[in-house]
Amino acid sequence: MGEFVATKINYAAVLPMLIVFAAAMIGVLVEAFVPRASRYVAQLPLTLIGLAGALAALLLNSRDNQGITAAGAVVVDGPTLMFQGIVLALSILAVLVMAERLDREGADAFTQSGASVPGSPLEAQAERLGATTTEVFPLTLFAVGGMMLFPASGNLLTMFVALEVLSLPLYIMTGLARRRRLLSQEAALKYFLLGAFSSAFFIFGAALIYGATTSTDLSVIAKAVGQVTGLDSLLVPGILLVAVGLLFKVGAVPFHSWTPDVYQGAPSPVTGFMAACTKIAAFGAMARVFYVGFEALRWNWQPVLAVVAALTMVVGAVLSITQKDVKRLLAYSSITHAGFLLLGIVAMDRTSIAGLMFYLAAYGISTITAFALIALVRQSGAEATHLSQWAGLGRTSPVVAAVFAFMMLSFAGIPLTSGFTAKFALFAPAVAHGGVWLVVLAMLASAVTAFVYVRVIVLMYFSDPIDGVSVVNPSYLTYAAVAVGAALTLMLGVLPSPLLDAAKSASIFLR
Amino acid sequence: MKLGGAESTLFALAAPLSVIGALALLFARKAVHAAMGMALTMVVLGIFYIAQQAEFLGVIQIFVYSGAVMMLFLFVIMLVGVDSSDSLVETIRGQRWAGLLLGLALAALGLATIGKATFPAGTGLDRANSQGNVSGIARLIFGNYVWVFEATSALLITAALGAMMLAHRERLSERPSQADWSRARIKSGRNVAGLPAPGVYARHNAVDTPALLPDGSTSELSISRVLKARGQVATADKELAISQELEGETGDMTRRGNGDDK
Amino acid sequence: MTGVLSLSPHVASLAAEGSALTTRDASGASAIGWLMIALPLAGAALLLVGGKALNKIGPLLATALSWASFGVGVAVLLQLMGMAAGERSLHLNLYSWIPAGKLDVNFGMLMDPLSMTFVMLITFVGSLIHVYSLGYMEHDPDKRRFFAYLNLFIAAMLTLVLADSYLGLFLGWEGVGLASYLLIGFWNWNPAYATAANKAFIMNRVGDLGLLLAMFTMFATFGKLDFASVNASVAGAGKGTLTIIGILLLVAACGKSAQFPLQAWLGDAMAGPTPVSALIHAATMVTAGVYLIVRSNAIYTATPDARLAVCIVGAITLMFGAIVGCAKDDLKKALAASTMSQIGYMILAAGLGPVGYAFAIFHLVTHGFFKAGMFLGAGSVMHGMNDQVDMRRFGGLSAVMKITWITFGLGWLAIIGVPGLSGFWSKDKIIEAAFIGEGWRPWVFGLAALICAGITAFYMSRLFFMTFHGKRRWTDDVHPHESPLTMTIPMMVLAVGSALLGLAIGPTGIITDWLAPVTGAHEEGEPVIPVPVLIVLTLLLVAAGVALAWMRYVRDAVPVVPPVGSLATRAARKDLYQDDVNEAIFARPGLHLTRGLVFADNKGVDGAAGGTAALIGGSSSRLAKLQNGFVRSYALTMLTGVVAILGLVWVIQ
Repeated sequence: MGEFVATKINYAAVLPMLIVFAAAMIGVLVEAFVPRASRYVAQLPLTLIGLAGALAALLLNSRDNQGITAAGAVVVDGPTLMFQGIVLALSILAVLVMAERLDREGADAFTQSGASVPGSPLEAQAERLGATTTEVFPLTLFAVGGMMLFPASGNLLTMFVALEVLSLPLYIMTGLARRRRLLSQEAALKYFLLGAFSSAFFIFGAALIYGATTSTDLSVIAKAVGQVTGLDSLLVPGILLVAVGLLFKVGAVPFHSWTPDVYQGAPSPVTGFMAACTKIAAFGAMARVFYVGFEALRWNWQPVLAVVAALTMVVGAVLSITQKDVKRLLAYSSITHAGFLLLGIVAMDRTSIAGLMFYLAAYGISTITAFALIALVRQSGAEATHLSQWAGLGRTSPVVAAVFAFMMLSFAGIPLTSGFTAKFALFAPAVAHGGVWLVVLAMLASAVTAFVYVRVIVLMYFSDPIDGVSVVNPSYLTYAAVAVGAALTLMLGVLPSPLLDAAKSASIFLR
Repeated sequence: MKLGGAESTLFALAAPLSVIGALALLFARKAVHAAMGMALTMVVLGIFYIAQQAEFLGVIQIFVYSGAVMMLFLFVIMLVGVDSSDSLVETIRGQRWAGLLLGLALAALGLATIGKATFPAGTGLDRANSQGNVSGIARLIFGNYVWVFEATSALLITAALGAMMLAHRERLSERPSQADWSRARIKSGRNVAGLPAPGVYARHNAVDTPALLPDGSTSELSISRVLKARGQVATADKELAISQELEGETGDMTRRGNGDDK
Repeated sequence: MTGVLSLSPHVASLAAEGSALTTRDASGASAIGWLMIALPLAGAALLLVGGKALNKIGPLLATALSWASFGVGVAVLLQLMGMAAGERSLHLNLYSWIPAGKLDVNFGMLMDPLSMTFVMLITFVGSLIHVYSLGYMEHDPDKRRFFAYLNLFIAAMLTLVLADSYLGLFLGWEGVGLASYLLIGFWNWNPAYATAANKAFIMNRVGDLGLLLAMFTMFATFGKLDFASVNASVAGAGKGTLTIIGILLLVAACGKSAQFPLQAWLGDAMAGPTPVSALIHAATMVTAGVYLIVRSNAIYTATPDARLAVCIVGAITLMFGAIVGCAKDDLKKALAASTMSQIGYMILAAGLGPVGYAFAIFHLVTHGFFKAGMFLGAGSVMHGMNDQVDMRRFGGLSAVMKITWITFGLGWLAIIGVPGLSGFWSKDKIIEAAFIGEGWRPWVFGLAALICAGITAFYMSRLFFMTFHGKRRWTDDVHPHESPLTMTIPMMVLAVGSALLGLAIGPTGIITDWLAPVTGAHEEGEPVIPVPVLIVLTLLLVAAGVALAWMRYVRDAVPVVPPVGSLATRAARKDLYQDDVNEAIFARPGLHLTRGLVFADNKGVDGAAGGTAALIGGSSSRLAKLQNGFVRSYALTMLTGVVAILGLVWVIQ
């Protein structure tokens, strides 16, 4: 034990994360010191500048400063940067949607007073006085910070903390819906309890792995798993328990039950953010854990993940058939997509990582856009999420219906949308690496879900409109997000090569 | 490294205690008992840590978890109401049995897995503690794990912010003063002299017992709304009987028919 | 093909415009080949976003763009014809869709005799139908949207046939599906129409699934998806894989071309506007399956097993359509059954292998002309009869609708195979080809083809006589009249094509020589029955069919209310119980489980796809019970998962 030597951190490499966390903390200070009336005006630019700044730092700076840093806690390599970049870009879109005020003082999707009892005089008073819940902006930034750290984690401990950093703000934001607050609070509590449950499995698994390899570092684990010791029997259960924690986050069957309830209860913009960005971060982390840490034991975990992937696709697709709520429908659709995405992990190949990245970006963009649109369809002030309320929307609001239909087609994987390219980029490597039966299953599942999506389109275009359902006129924020989302969905379908090339060149993990 | 005799004895005594505490957390009907059970487990865990040469961790465990966090917990439970407990009747058929079965299965699998492993001889903590236990931990926290340690701050800030958002009811308007209240009372013309005080009786007085009106009925207004909502209002029947008895002996203006004639 | 060009002055002028483009060097015309797709696509975009300003001029613009696309096609065709037979294959790389790495996918156009044949058919017939629609849809308030969809369809169909890879083909394949979906459901205020659109879409998805799986298998086997590479690597691939690919492609073809067992949607799709039925459900889109099989001829030539499956499907559909056609009283549905049956001929021919590929395409082209012509005639009849379609309410229309009668009559004579007319040349060739071979096959397939020629003659004559001859059985409120010139001119052009096209390119050998570079040299074989005997037999059967129809529908009075009929008639009337079979096998087991699921379009989802959906929906409702909203229940699910995973690993280790 010599002198204490401070750990070297390559600040240039982690700059994007630092920017996001710094912006989040400034946001907390804004909450503390800026008068209520000007908080929204201060928070929104701060958040957007923080995210855009981080993205700029990522693109300009971090790319040339790749490497393992902070004593192995953070790995900044191609996949990390790609996942972080996608998270940042999509969270900018998501923040635009979240900040939609319509004609109110604060963001429309969030309650003015999270602490008030739903329906109480305090709530009414908060509403009257124009209180705002601008804390969601720093919370979003914290979540984004966690999502950036998650796929960059070089050891299981960092990964666990990142998991919590990204989850905790989401738990809180889930409970802050302005309307149907009880549903929202119930969803938040469920998400929190089940999230804690799954975290426990993760940490249990990490402990078993530590017991077997005496390290939490993925690179050390990777070396240790190859050697035969008496502790092998701890390893495989450890790996699978860690996998359980990660599978929960992506909503894979049988760890999916929270998804529909939470997606339905959370404010729609938060649902979009959560569905898109959490998936990206969690799949990034999962890819790193399995590709870097546990590659040598692939024969043990691959069949398990394959079965989970198959179950996820099938259960998600089958359950989506009977959904009557748009948000729940998209929740089950997200479960199905998680199943597809698991193919990218099971395939264990560089090309499938590229496909995974592309798919996540394409799915995330469409999801945020779709939820942004869901937030606009209203009946007597509240969001009209029941499918019957969407009948005839094609006639009453052609633009919203058309963009939503386009997103549905993208989810279904119709050519010329990003969804098709993504499926192609993801499934082709899976076929090439022995996942033929899974791909066949995936095609069947996507045929089933295509039926569901088309039914929504049919409902919007071929049914008579319902009285009282209207589409609110949003501000330029939502317009911008939806326009960018739709344009990107089209672009990734027609001209996918820039992103696909980037994903391909960034698909090698540092070990 | 072999476990010393004292340590084995300590473990044999303390381990069942920690398990009992944990089970109490699960099965105690009252929230306070559950919290106490949890505190017990925490304390015993702290003792284990200390016994295993992790003094710092052990002390922190007892100070922070058993001391600060659990006591705070207890206070909150007491404030919310000791008696308030949710219905524990299971409505889903088979839930408990399935849960029990699966829990046991998980435990069995865990034991089987860990039991199969052959562990190498322990190296002990002498090397890690060569400069003292606290310094050893400091080296890890500020050395290899500094990034994680810092990242935890994000977690704590989020937690604090979340607690504020979900629990702190911001006062949105001026607090009404005594004068405001009285002005409002006079303006409304009801209860101009203020609400009646709760029962003050000859042998007993309490805020949870309603005051008696001259005609012998109780005054609903004299009881705090909170007590009423919790269903903690006592009846005044006994007091009424006593006062009637006393009046019978001493005579009272309110009981003209009885007392004055005597 | 030049014979076609001289048919109409309108076409000739545009052809001149096209040839002006070819005055540049040889690569000139093909270099702008992308315009064929881009022009109608631009038209569709313009009309859709153009708003009300384009309400008047839009339809004309769409028609002009369609003709312009035809013009470019002619220019490319002329360039191809100027080249040596072996070199008639021009490739135009448009852009690299997914370049680099193992996923090397480019989008390009392949202009060879096969694709240009289709381009000619699509753009020529398509443009004629644009013209026809100008008249047919004149009073429709939403005709701008209609023409936008028509243009979109043309663009998508051209993408399908001009693509140089299966991926590009799939793009067009989905595109035509979408356009046909939009067009069938065009009058979407009518729930039945929306339902039909839905059914068509869903059954097509089953086919698409086949195509997608075929593509993935090809990609896994060959590593490439473009026709050239796939064709080149067929020789090295295993026979089993090729058979699987062949069968999957056949599933795709069945979905798109309404072949057994995915035939149920075509009849219902007749709910769309009649020009749409003519263009999509007679001349072009439904023949895409035939195109797919002929385009994949390298694969099919290498795998006789898959070809046998193709033949069986073709033969079954051939019979199925013909029998159903005999009993239908709905004019359009009878024509739809006939289309199904005729495509069965084409699929059968394609399944015969090198002896049949060229004949399949030949029949496809002639059928495109006479069937489109008859559909337009049907539209003209409906136009004059207040949109009625019940043939029992027609009769004696020959006197009041002379042009329609004559043009329809030519189509009728062509389809039943009267010597000299188009159908005679193309269909008899298929019948001959079906008799070539050894063992049981020529007898089964040949006899099926032969007998169906007779049945075709019967049901088409029935249709023709019931509509145009016999006593007038009109309802009181109709006043039949001839349609305007915009409608009758396309009918006349198509009628001339029906009459002469076969003679022009069939017996002269033009079509077989023209297609030879793509389909391989045409194999001559000796039918098991001598050709002259076959021709005589066919003609006898045809004559018998016509005579029978004449006796029953001209000589005897046609009752206005359909008689109960024999068991067979009733079965045929109900599409041989296709929906009932679908329901019994797929729908009913799942139906009672899905009772809770009430949807606006629930009823529309009948048939096989809907039945399966109901089955899935049933398991869906059951599974959904696990989603009870209790967090402890969710935690239990998770715990079950954990224990299952760990237990599995424990058992395996």
